[in-house]
Amino acid sequence: MANKAVVVQDLIKTYPRVMAVDGISFTIDEGEIFGLLGPNGAGKTTTMRVLLTLIRPTSGKISVFGVDALAYSDKVRQMAGYVPQDVSVDGELTGYENILMSCKLYGVPSKERSQRIKEALGYLELQDRAGSMVNTYSGGMMRRLEIAQALVNRPKILFLDEPSIGLDPIAKRNIWEHVENLRSDFGTTIILTTHDMNEADALCDRLGIMSKGKLITIGEPSRLKASLGGDVVTVTTKNSECSARLKELGYSVTSDSSGEHCGVIVSDGEKLIPHLLENLRKNNVEVETVSLEKSSLDDVFLKYTGARIAEGDSWLEASRVRRTFRRLTK
Amino acid sequence: MSIRRYFSGVFTLLEFELRKVRHDSSQIWIRSVQPALWLLVFGEVFTQTKTFNTGPYTYLQFMTPGILAQSVMFVAIFYGITIVWERDLGILNKLLASPVPRSAIVIGKTLSAGLRGIFQAIVVIILALILQVKISLNPLHILGVLIIIVLLGMCFAGLSLTLASLLKTRERMMGIGQAITMPLFFASNAIYPISIMPTWLKAIATVNPLSYIVDALRALLVTGDFSKFPVDILAIAIATVVLVTVASLSFRRIVS
Repeated sequence: MANKAVVVQDLIKTYPRVMAVDGISFTIDEGEIFGLLGPNGAGKTTTMRVLLTLIRPTSGKISVFGVDALAYSDKVRQMAGYVPQDVSVDGELTGYENILMSCKLYGVPSKERSQRIKEALGYLELQDRAGSMVNTYSGGMMRRLEIAQALVNRPKILFLDEPSIGLDPIAKRNIWEHVENLRSDFGTTIILTTHDMNEADALCDRLGIMSKGKLITIGEPSRLKASLGGDVVTVTTKNSECSARLKELGYSVTSDSSGEHCGVIVSDGEKLIPHLLENLRKNNVEVETVSLEKSSLDDVFLKYTGARIAEGDSWLEASRVRRTFRRLTK
Repeated sequence: MSIRRYFSGVFTLLEFELRKVRHDSSQIWIRSVQPALWLLVFGEVFTQTKTFNTGPYTYLQFMTPGILAQSVMFVAIFYGITIVWERDLGILNKLLASPVPRSAIVIGKTLSAGLRGIFQAIVVIILALILQVKISLNPLHILGVLIIIVLLGMCFAGLSLTLASLLKTRERMMGIGQAITMPLFFASNAIYPISIMPTWLKAIATVNPLSYIVDALRALLVTGDFSKFPVDILAIAIATVVLVTVASLSFRRIVS
């Protein structure tokens, strides 16, 4: 069994009018990239802030690398790196100064500072712009600078709150690569929140799906998707017996299949299509078109919560962050 | 958390405030317009009219410490807006998640306001010298002035931070800042002696920290009369400790 980086038991956080986190329990292994997925107001950020010892929970137990986070918050803070959802770099300082400030706040010994800053800058590919004021940076560069800031402390666990929100697709992928490299190069345990299904799918080893303060399900993205039953392969033919033939051959057919237009539920669509076509040809069914519909995390979310993650929500959040990037930029 | 780490946190915040001033000092110059107008227009006019009995000193001499204190107080009271800005971004959240204790952050931030106050004070003193106001340039007196300026900055930045923790938006901070700076200024001995005030205003002026600050600055820069100095310093110290403590206690509410 791998060492546990985080153990959360029966965590509850209530505010006067809302139950922000409603009795959740989960564990994160050392070196894992763990994602909390859910819409706004699901309790992801509150959970993260409680783990960071920024907020005291109403009840529950938390341990981070074996340390009781409620009793020894300073020890947890010393181990953690944090990139908040809102832009957290100081536009009135240079990139280098922002990182230097983190070094000092985390008590990095003065002898090691310049080496660590150089490494962090190089690692996030910011060395060329280190001397420029941050208010001349792009949004993606600001996010990279934030990660660089978090790295100088050599955190055992890194908290990323919506790491790629408000970024364009290229900058987004760039951030994902850096996050993955962090884990593979340093073995950093990473916990992130997101409401971007693609991000959750691309980055996370395991996901916890949150809705209305509750942790609804937890698992690897591929397992969660498989739990839906799988992909749907749709075939159309001129043969009206197609649906019946498919059933005879032992496939599970979707309920909306008609004679010539059939959906087949399978676990691994790409691999199955050739076999399916061959089987049908042997049985004298001539296929006209084939299409594959992969199940997505969005479908998983729909299944477990009965709702889709509202597109409008994430758009609003993203535009807020983009506005901040702009406000910071001169 | 060792004491050394505690103060290294405080001084880190101070150091980077200084770096910000170095990168962009325009704020200091823009903020020197108002004290310049007070001294040039208000000061010159009231010197002519001889409205107030300022003893053996000219009215400009009398009001220079008052304007000095007022301009630093403005910087400090509006410092909360910077904090709200850092809260709106994630800067404050990230700072609070660092191992630096909350009280060290509050002390660091209020000291930063004091630091900005020093730059402001230097500008006002230079303005006064340009206007040929006779003020003491004894290095010990100037040192005393700078120490009081730092306390003044900390004291009102503490008040401002407390308000920021409660109000949380820049608009409200602008409003409250404007609502309290003028009463604090007029209910003090900054531009006229307390002796001419009606009784009710005297009562307010007596509990207004700004009165004691102006009194101490006046002793250092103009009169050289230190008879009330210990009382002034005690009052300033108590006000600073109380307001910074209240700010530390209310600061945890700022991010929620």
